[in-house]
Amino acid sequence: MSQVEVRNVTKRFGRTVALDDVSIAFEDGGFFALLGPSGSGKTTLLRTIAGFHFPDSGSIRIGERNVEKVPVEKRDIGMMFQNYALFPNMSVAENVGFGLRVRKVGSAEETRRAREALELVQLGHLGDRRPSQLSGGQRQRVALARAIVTNPKVLLLDEPLSALDKTLRVDMQIELKRIQREVGITTIFVTHDQEEALTLSDRIGILRDGRIVQAGPPREVYNRPVDAFAAGFLGEANWLSEGALAGLTLPADPSGRRFATRPEALAISAAAPAPGMNAVRGQLVQRVFAGAMATCLVEVDGQPWKLIARDRDIPELPGDGAVWLAWAPQDTLVVPA
Amino acid sequence: MSPIALLGRIWLVLILIFLYAPILVMAAMSFNASPFYQLPFEYSSKWYSDMAGNEQIVTAAIRSVLIACAVTAIATAVGTAASVALFRYEFRGKRLLQALLFPPIAIPWLITGTAMLVFFFTIGIGRGTPAVIIGHVALALPYVIVTVTARLSSFDVTLEEAARSMGAGAWTVLRRVTLPWIAPGIVAGALFAFAVSFDQFVVSYFLSKPGDSTLPVLIYTAIRKGFTPEINAISTIIIAVSMAVMFLAARYSKFGGDR
Amino acid sequence: MAEVIHAQDRRRLLTLLGPAYLWLTLAVFLPLSAMLFFSFLSDMPGDAPDWGVTLGNYTQFLENPTYATLLWKSLKLGVTVTLFCIVIGYPCALVLAKSIKGRAREALFLMVILPFWSNSLVRIFSWAIVLRGNGVLERTLNWILPFDIRLNLMFTTEAVVIGLVHSYLPYVILTSYLALQAIDDDLIDAARSMGASKLTILNRLLLPLSLPGLLAGAVLVFVPVVGSFMEPRILGGRMGTYYGTVIEDQFVAVYNWPLGAALSFILLAVVLVILGAASPVLRRART
Repeated sequence: MSQVEVRNVTKRFGRTVALDDVSIAFEDGGFFALLGPSGSGKTTLLRTIAGFHFPDSGSIRIGERNVEKVPVEKRDIGMMFQNYALFPNMSVAENVGFGLRVRKVGSAEETRRAREALELVQLGHLGDRRPSQLSGGQRQRVALARAIVTNPKVLLLDEPLSALDKTLRVDMQIELKRIQREVGITTIFVTHDQEEALTLSDRIGILRDGRIVQAGPPREVYNRPVDAFAAGFLGEANWLSEGALAGLTLPADPSGRRFATRPEALAISAAAPAPGMNAVRGQLVQRVFAGAMATCLVEVDGQPWKLIARDRDIPELPGDGAVWLAWAPQDTLVVPA
Repeated sequence: MSPIALLGRIWLVLILIFLYAPILVMAAMSFNASPFYQLPFEYSSKWYSDMAGNEQIVTAAIRSVLIACAVTAIATAVGTAASVALFRYEFRGKRLLQALLFPPIAIPWLITGTAMLVFFFTIGIGRGTPAVIIGHVALALPYVIVTVTARLSSFDVTLEEAARSMGAGAWTVLRRVTLPWIAPGIVAGALFAFAVSFDQFVVSYFLSKPGDSTLPVLIYTAIRKGFTPEINAISTIIIAVSMAVMFLAARYSKFGGDR
Repeated sequence: MAEVIHAQDRRRLLTLLGPAYLWLTLAVFLPLSAMLFFSFLSDMPGDAPDWGVTLGNYTQFLENPTYATLLWKSLKLGVTVTLFCIVIGYPCALVLAKSIKGRAREALFLMVILPFWSNSLVRIFSWAIVLRGNGVLERTLNWILPFDIRLNLMFTTEAVVIGLVHSYLPYVILTSYLALQAIDDDLIDAARSMGASKLTILNRLLLPLSLPGLLAGAVLVFVPVVGSFMEPRILGGRMGTYYGTVIEDQFVAVYNWPLGAALSFILLAVVLVILGAASPVLRRART
C-alpha cells in the first residue's frame, strides 16, 4: 500500500494555480523524485504534503491518516531544507535531539537516539559542535540525521543537495541513498536536476504548470515519455521533422504523432548504415571531446541533433561533414503531437 | 600611508576631540574644588558629596531611572510584538503602518511635546509622571521596532519551518527558535528605549509637573537659574550612564559594523 | 512570510500590532490632531467660558512680523548648522568607511556616534563651561598662542551654532557612513583599473552613490535644529531668541496655548514641506 497519497489536490495563491488537481501515490519505502522546471509546482506539492500549505481542495493521506487539515507539527514528517536550516543557537546534538525533546521522550532516550542518528550519518563525534563550525557536507548530514531521528512516516527533501559543489554532491547522493535504504523510510525529493533524480529515485514524477505530466520508474519515463515536454525535460530528444520520416521504420502511424531519438541511441558514420536500421543524413556542425565521451552536433533537415557516444566508437568522419545518423527502430520515441 | 589617508586620519582625530573635549572638561571640572571653574585645578570630590546630599537631585535621579525602567519594559514588550507581526505577516496597509513609525522620530520633539501637553491636559491625564511615561514610550517604540525588525530581517524563516516539521508547536517554535535568534535585537531595543527615556529632555520638560520633574528637567531649570558645580557632578554621572548603555546597545545591535 | 487570510491569523495580527499602534495613536497622532484643533481656538477652553473657533492665531503670525522674522532666523540657523555638519561630517564618514579597516573602524565608528546617544542637554551644558569668558577654551588658546586674546563666545550666535553642530554632527556621520559602507569596494577597484583618480572616484562614484544617505543625515539635522529651543536658551542668552523659544514661551511662560499650537503647526508645515521635498531622494536610498 502507498504510504503517502495525494488525491485531487488544488492549491491557488491569489490568481495563480500552483497545483491543479494533482493526484499521486508514494509507495512505502520508496524513493520518489519530483522533477520540473521552476514554477512547475513541485516545491508547492512538497510543502503541501509537509503541511506548510493547506490545499484548497482534495485530500492528502500520510500512513492511515487524512492530514490535509492537520498543521505541520502534527503530521509526523521529517524534512530537509535547501539551506539546511540548522538552529544556530543549538549544538549539533541539540539540533538532532530537538524533535525528540518536543515529543518529550525523556532526556536519556533523547541523548541515545540523537547519538544513534548522528552515527548513522557518520558524525557521532561532532555532537558538541555548533552548526557554524561544520563544513557544508557535515551540515547536510546533520540536517538528515535531524530529519529522520523521530522515525517520521515520510521524509521530505527540498533540493537538499543544491548548495553543495559537484563532487561533494555525488558523494552525498550515494550516502543519502544508503541511509534511505537502511532506514527504509518513504522519501519524497524535489529537484530540478534530472541527473540527480535518475540517480537517486525508484520513481519520478514530472510536473509542469501545477500538473503531474508523467509518473513512473525512471527507465520507463525516460524510454516512454508521454509527451514532448516529458521527452525533452528528462534527457534530451532529437526531433524528427515531418519531411524526414519517409523511408523510416516507425513504431506507430505518423498521423497525430511526433517521433524522436535519444542522443546515446544514435550511431554516426560516413557511409550509409546497414539495412534494418533507421538512418537520416545530416551535416556535422561540431564534435566536442570530453574525455571518455564525445558529443556531436549535427544538423538534420534543419533541426539541431545531438549524439553522445564513447569517443572511441566514433569513426573517422569526412572533411565535408556529410554524415549518416542511424538507430534501431525500437529506440524511436513516440509522443502525441 | 598616502598624504590623503594621513590627512583623513588627522581629521578624524580632530572630530573626536571636538566631540569629547567639552564632555571631558565638564567631567574634570566636576572634580575641581573651585565653584567658579578656577584654574589651576585642585582635586575635590566635594561636589559629588554635595550632590548626594541634595534631596531634590536624588529624588529626580531616582524618578528618572524608574521612569526609564518602566518605559523600557513597556516599549520593549509592545514594540517586539509589533515587529514580529510586521515581519511575519503580509497584509494591506502594512507599508502605511511602517511609515507611521517615522513621525515620532522625524517631527521635532518641541512639536510632539507641546502636542502631548495639549492633548493630555484636555483628556484629563494632565502633567506628571504618568504623562511622561506615556510620552516616552511613544518616542521609544519606533526605535525598538526598527531595531528588532532589523534583527528579524536576518532571521531565516526556514528555521521555524524546520522546527515545525519536527513537531514543535507555535509556542515551542517561538521560545526555542525565534526568540533566541532575535534576543540580541530585543536587548539592543531595550537599551535604546532606556536611553531615549533617560536622556529625554524636551518631552519631559513639557509633561512633568514643577517639583515633580525628571533629572534633565531639573538640570535645565538649575542652569537657567545660574548653575552650581553639583550640576556638573550629576551631569557627569548621567553622561557616563547613558554612554555605557549605548555602548552595550551598539555591541548588541551590530549597526554599522561588519562583524 | 504568511499572507493573512484566516480569521485566526487576523486575530493574532491584531493582538501583536494593536498595542503599539494604539499607543502611538494615543500619544502622538491624537495629540497632533488635538493641537491642530487647539490652534483654531480663541482661548483655552478651561479658562474662558466664551471660547470660540477663530483663525486669529494664524493671522497673528502674519500680522506680527516678529514671528516670521524669528522663523526665518531659525531656518537660517538650520541651514548653517546643517552645512557645517555636512562639511565636517562627510569627510569623516569617508575616512571611516573607505580608509580605515577592520576592528579599528568599528571602534572609531562607535566612538563617533556614542556622544550622540548621550544626554544632549548635558552636552550643551558642557559647552557652556568651555565657552564662557575666562573659561577653558580661552585659557587653552592663550596658553598655546604667543599672544593673548580675549575670547568670550558664550551667549553668542557662534556658541549656539557650535553647540548644535556638536549635538547633531553624529547624525550626518552615521547616515553617510552607512551609505558609503554599502558601496562595494569592487566598484572603486573597477574605477581605478580604468584609470580614475581619487577625486574622480569621489565625484563620480562615491558622492552620487552616497547622496541619499548624506541627504537623510542633512534632513535629520535640519528638522530638529529649526525647532530647537533648549540650545539657544543655554548658549545664546539674549541672542538666543528663536522660533522654538517663542513656542516654548507660549506653553510654559505666557500660557497662550492656542497661539503656541498655531506656531507649532506652522513649524510642522515647514518641516513637512522639507521632508516632502527630500523624500524622492530618500526613497531611493531605501531601495
